[in-house]
Amino acid sequence: MRTARLTPLWAVIAAGSIALGGCSSGTSSGATVTINFPYLWGGPEAQALEKVVSDFNASQSGIVVKGVSSPDFQKQLAEMSGANGFDVSDNFGSTVGSWASKGILEPLDSYMQAENYGTGDFVPTALQSNQYQGKTYAMPIAVHTLLLMYNKKLFSDAGIAAGPTTMSDLQADITKLTKVDSSGNITQFGMRSPDYTTLAYAFGGKWYDDSGKPTPDDSGNLAALHFWVDNVVKKYGADKIKKFESGYGEYASAQNPFYTGKVAMTLDGEWQPVFIKEYAPTLDWGVVAIPYPDAQSNLAGATQLTSSMFFIPKNAPHKQQAWTFLKYLVSPAAMTQFTRALGNLPARTSILVSPLYNYLPQFSVWLNSLKSPNLRIFASEPSTAQYQKDLTDEFQRIANLQDTPEAGMAKVKAKAASYGS
Amino acid sequence: MAHRSVSRGLLFASPWIIGFLVFQLIPILASAYYSLTNFNLFQDPQFVGLHNYQRMASDELFWKSLFNTVYLTAVGVPISLAAALVAALALNMRVPGQWFFRTIVFLPTVVPVVAATYIWRWLLNAQYGYVNEALGTFHLGQPLWLDDAIWTKPALILMSLWVTGSAMIVFLAALKDVPEVYYEAATVDGAGAWSKFRHVTLPLISPVILFETIIAGIFTLQYFTQAYLLSQTRFNGASGGPDNSLLVYGLYLFQQAFVNLNMGYASAMAWVLLFVALIGTLVLLRLSRDRVFYAGD
Repeated sequence: MRTARLTPLWAVIAAGSIALGGCSSGTSSGATVTINFPYLWGGPEAQALEKVVSDFNASQSGIVVKGVSSPDFQKQLAEMSGANGFDVSDNFGSTVGSWASKGILEPLDSYMQAENYGTGDFVPTALQSNQYQGKTYAMPIAVHTLLLMYNKKLFSDAGIAAGPTTMSDLQADITKLTKVDSSGNITQFGMRSPDYTTLAYAFGGKWYDDSGKPTPDDSGNLAALHFWVDNVVKKYGADKIKKFESGYGEYASAQNPFYTGKVAMTLDGEWQPVFIKEYAPTLDWGVVAIPYPDAQSNLAGATQLTSSMFFIPKNAPHKQQAWTFLKYLVSPAAMTQFTRALGNLPARTSILVSPLYNYLPQFSVWLNSLKSPNLRIFASEPSTAQYQKDLTDEFQRIANLQDTPEAGMAKVKAKAASYGS
Repeated sequence: MAHRSVSRGLLFASPWIIGFLVFQLIPILASAYYSLTNFNLFQDPQFVGLHNYQRMASDELFWKSLFNTVYLTAVGVPISLAAALVAALALNMRVPGQWFFRTIVFLPTVVPVVAATYIWRWLLNAQYGYVNEALGTFHLGQPLWLDDAIWTKPALILMSLWVTGSAMIVFLAALKDVPEVYYEAATVDGAGAWSKFRHVTLPLISPVILFETIIAGIFTLQYFTQAYLLSQTRFNGASGGPDNSLLVYGLYLFQQAFVNLNMGYASAMAWVLLFVALIGTLVLLRLSRDRVFYAGD
């Protein structure tokens, strides 16, 4: 699964191959055009993608797609800065703003208009996350949402009947499920430290206003940070939490603390049913929407949506053929085949109801999450990477009780004022 | 005739000359130019004068990364060179199995740095690591080595003590060069072990210590790999460890260049680092003038 989390192996590959960026170009011979398709996926995901590629190659005779697994961001960037690069590749929707503003991506609107290509079937927020200043620069294949997963056995041991619905429920459950030994060391944590940007959406927060200006000090964001700091960090101690978290096993392994029962709840994504089948087949787990603040049921079902997308770089040698292949990649049949193998959410509404996903336990909860009116995306702006870095730094200081949520977010706001200068 | 031999000489030297131009001189000049521009790799650079250099003054992370690197250099280099010297002195004693001990001390130097860093990440784990396990046995404090901003740099220095093998070898060679007669003379004059070390050994190996200090200093100013591996948490994300305490200068430069695509700013940072290294070296040479003893003087 090409999730946003980085495993050490990724780090090793990235560190080892920073300098290895090279150029490759497609070749044309007669009527057949060969297009190059390096992708960031690897392992079983790469196999699923190769199946889609070979189906495409068999379906027509004019284009031969050469796919290769190349899980290295720096190589991808290096190849796009040369005169001739690859034809199609993938990344996250969050890169679109930065890349589009630098002229790296080929806008797709003229290709769509020429063929009257309709985008009405795509999940609106998914499509939106691949647009920048009104133009579409990439097409989503899969989307991801975070929901609240919980360990059913730990819940019944603690005498809790069902997953939490409101933030008060969540707060009470965290207290019941956190265990400390005589010296104050945590031995079981009620909930893994959450993704604060997503938690903020659950409190009605927002990170950008409608004009694309960062709003770190939004009252919902502050409420989310206070929820965690006041109810968890201050109660159990920042150092005790850090110490406990330092013992977490690798995310994509049987030692994931949620699988081993070290944490009872976690905000996690739709790839988990596939992961759990592989790493923790005996785990008894459940999943619910992220709880809403008491008496604010209008915020029910709020979560963050991210997307995995395909794009054509500006320096692609065979753009028209690349577009033909890209269309195929996000067609209902190929999208179903690919997302089903990965256990990712499809980016088309028409296949959200497909029975083909039924083999994945509890996957329907994530499928349903896409219908929520409270689905949010972290806007893809040129400054997104820097903003996220500044937020992450401050989240850390706030979770360490070095800054209050108000002071921390005020600092980010001050920094954000100079973005793009 | 002379003309012919010059052109032949140039011809034979051309692999080096071309390599120097293409891979060193031109990139160096290009980075000097880019440091005066806004450049994101994809669009034409825009000339902005000294703006990138001015921006550093108010860039909190720039100062933080400079502090982290200077900390590692000013604190880490003396400690690791002292450790190498102590090891060299110990391994210079004539004891049975001397070759074995020398091999053991040198061995960690050949372990690939990425593998070594991951081993240390595990050893220094706050909850399960052997280091804290050992400290606990002696009822000593168990720091959050890699999770507490105060302890991350001491952790990096601790890691560096494990790989002092190359400096140790150089010191060992220098120790071998100290003529035995000086020690004999010192013994006749009634000098003890400390006096011999202080007044015979140290002055005679001082040029080597100075050389090692400058080389290790420059090397540490470019510190990158271990900090990168220990702080990286997200796919190509920009992270600097707890409270950016692992954000060393090289790591911040890399993030500006390849994560934020601010090539102009990154080039400017590279030039500032060159001047920091230059000033540091000049200061060291000046300070050492009366303290380093050259046999030829």
